[in-house]
Amino acid sequence: MNALEVLSEHVPELKESFDSAIVIGNGTFGLTQYTLWMIICWILTLVVILVAARKLTLIPTNKFINTVEYGYQFVRNDMGEGVIGHGFKKHVPFLATLFFFILISNFVGLIPGCKTPTGTISVTWALATISFIYFNVQGIRAHGGWGYIKSIAPSGLPVVMVPIIWFFELISLVLRWLTLAVRLYGNMFAGHMVLGIFALACGIFLTTGIQSIDIATGVISVPWFLLLTVMYALETLVAFLQAYVFTVLTSVYISLATSAH
Amino acid sequence: MEIELVLSALKVIGYGLGAIGPGLGIGIACYGCCVGTARQPEVQGRLFTNFIIGAALAEALALIGFVLAFIL
Repeated sequence: MNALEVLSEHVPELKESFDSAIVIGNGTFGLTQYTLWMIICWILTLVVILVAARKLTLIPTNKFINTVEYGYQFVRNDMGEGVIGHGFKKHVPFLATLFFFILISNFVGLIPGCKTPTGTISVTWALATISFIYFNVQGIRAHGGWGYIKSIAPSGLPVVMVPIIWFFELISLVLRWLTLAVRLYGNMFAGHMVLGIFALACGIFLTTGIQSIDIATGVISVPWFLLLTVMYALETLVAFLQAYVFTVLTSVYISLATSAH
Repeated sequence: MEIELVLSALKVIGYGLGAIGPGLGIGIACYGCCVGTARQPEVQGRLFTNFIIGAALAEALALIGFVLAFIL
């Protein structure tokens, strides 16, 4: 079919639009489009939280404050108290910051014309590094330096097995770092790629159908559009779920690092 | 050109093979979570957290495949 050939010609162009490109400044001091949107998301997160926290009352006065408080309570109860348990209170600010920033970044990317900062490996890598350093430092604080190194391997093993198990547990510890970054990046990048291809297909099938006066080709763009809508709804779910998964995994790792084995 | 095409096709096939196991694993974990919740709805919170941990462990393999397909 002719429209499919046109589509496959346009796909590399779409792929290029996902590469980091400098939009402000020059090669030495410049912002790529992802960094620009990351700064916008910082400001957005700050504004949302500060506006909501400006007038704190026992009973929330409007819907906006109520929503933000619900989000904070969700982090506190579901991720803090439910996963970490005893001594969860000092970790809640960190977890809530992560959750709100990732949530806002993911949702900003869903608005047409905006880029999601979490759609590039650099930003998610930085987020994963922050979380990795945080839970290791908390582990060292709880057990002491040597105690934390020993606590990587579970206690109660035969003496001969300890070095082997310790080594494997160390690999899985480092893999947490990698998987936190790649999970968020992969989900957001792949989701936006699929949305882009469906949107492209919808437009190309319609225009090719009109140009060559071929009703069958034009009509096919309707299912593409329906599929695009369904995928968009799914991406909205994924945007929330990935923020939730990132935060809940961070709190799981914190509880693993700080709990006594 | 030909060899490059074959290589990139092989990368995608390798990732696809690597995604089979984690897919089955997450499916089984989700099944267990659903069945457990249906039998005992009051432990849903803890079950879901454990499901997320298990899914994260299983998913790690697929993600390593995803990374390898890019960097190799």
